Amino acid sequence: MAASAPALTLSFQPGEKKADDRELVRLSQNGTQAAFEELVRRHQQRVFGLVAGILHRPDDVEDVAQQVFLKAYVGIKRFDQRAAFSTWLYKIAVNECWDYLRKKKVRPLVYEADLSEEQVSRLDGIVSAERPPEGPSTRAETREILDRMLASLPEQDRQLLVLKEIEGFSVQELAEILDLNVNTVKVRLFRARGRIMDIYRRRLNPVGKAGATPAAQRKE
Amino acid sequence: MSAETKFGNGACEQYEALLEDYLSGDLSDVDARRAAEHWQTCAGCRAALQHVAASVRLLRAAEPSADPGAGFARVVMARIRAAEAERVAARPNFWQPFVTLGWRFAATAALALVALVTYNAGWGKQSQPGGLAARPITVTDLFAPEPVKAPTTGDEVLIMVADGSNGKY
Repeated sequence: MAASAPALTLSFQPGEKKADDRELVRLSQNGTQAAFEELVRRHQQRVFGLVAGILHRPDDVEDVAQQVFLKAYVGIKRFDQRAAFSTWLYKIAVNECWDYLRKKKVRPLVYEADLSEEQVSRLDGIVSAERPPEGPSTRAETREILDRMLASLPEQDRQLLVLKEIEGFSVQELAEILDLNVNTVKVRLFRARGRIMDIYRRRLNPVGKAGATPAAQRKE
Repeated sequence: MSAETKFGNGACEQYEALLEDYLSGDLSDVDARRAAEHWQTCAGCRAALQHVAASVRLLRAAEPSADPGAGFARVVMARIRAAEAERVAARPNFWQPFVTLGWRFAATAALALVALVTYNAGWGKQSQPGGLAARPITVTDLFAPEPVKAPTTGDEVLIMVADGSNGKY
């Protein structure tokens, strides 16, 4: 591996912090597999988040994420570094997700269900800022509840909200990955927020007493 | 409220991107002043902002996807190495076209040999009794005079003497 590759290999040791993505990409293009492995380590969590945000099928996320890195390895020699490696990689991930969904002829898994009183109360505590989520287990449970609510949204709205607010992608990144204008992403996000809050308030107050939408408030 | 376009949640279409920036905390000072001036006069935008503001808290309370761990990178690299090995094994050999051509040539030669042997052993011998096929006809054969037959009767002797061909046979 590293030892068998030419001189360039010698300048990189696995786990080295100094080498930036550009350098690692250059080394990978010269056949240094250790450099590519470092790139995988650096980006695996975000690729996982991206794939999970689009597929919404937890069982298939790892398989698709592996496929993303395999494709990146095959294509890295043609990558000209005009864009950031992460952007290029995330685009591969998005395309892989669409391919996967098309081949399987499935829509992202939707498991919308009514929320229990306890779950509604937990969300209410978060929204009113009375009860911020504590430990990781609580946050994981909140994620599960939110996933159910998000399943009621149109697919594009759900993906944008998950990728932006939960997985931590910036508006700029989303625009690049999804080939959209930055302003378009912002507007879609803002509208998606309105829709998820409509759903939340409907679940919280099925009869629509409190928390009515602005449109309803204006009528009143 | 101004006469600007309203959309979905009641905000002015022109200000939706600004509202999103405000929620994300990405509003520049200039844009913040512009937005503040607008919201003072636009109840629709104020209500929309109030409606969606809690979404930030709500969604950020959720756990992002977990890091798959160090094992993931190892699995990926193992798959890459396996794919590379498969690719190398499937790569065509430089000499392969020449070997293929050699085999074809040998097969053709063997076929030709079999045809020749068959001809000699079977069909060639069958045409022997006529005598013509045994020796090829030459130009000399075509222009040579017919061989003189020896007289077998007395009459033939007399005719030969009369023709002046005595002693030529």
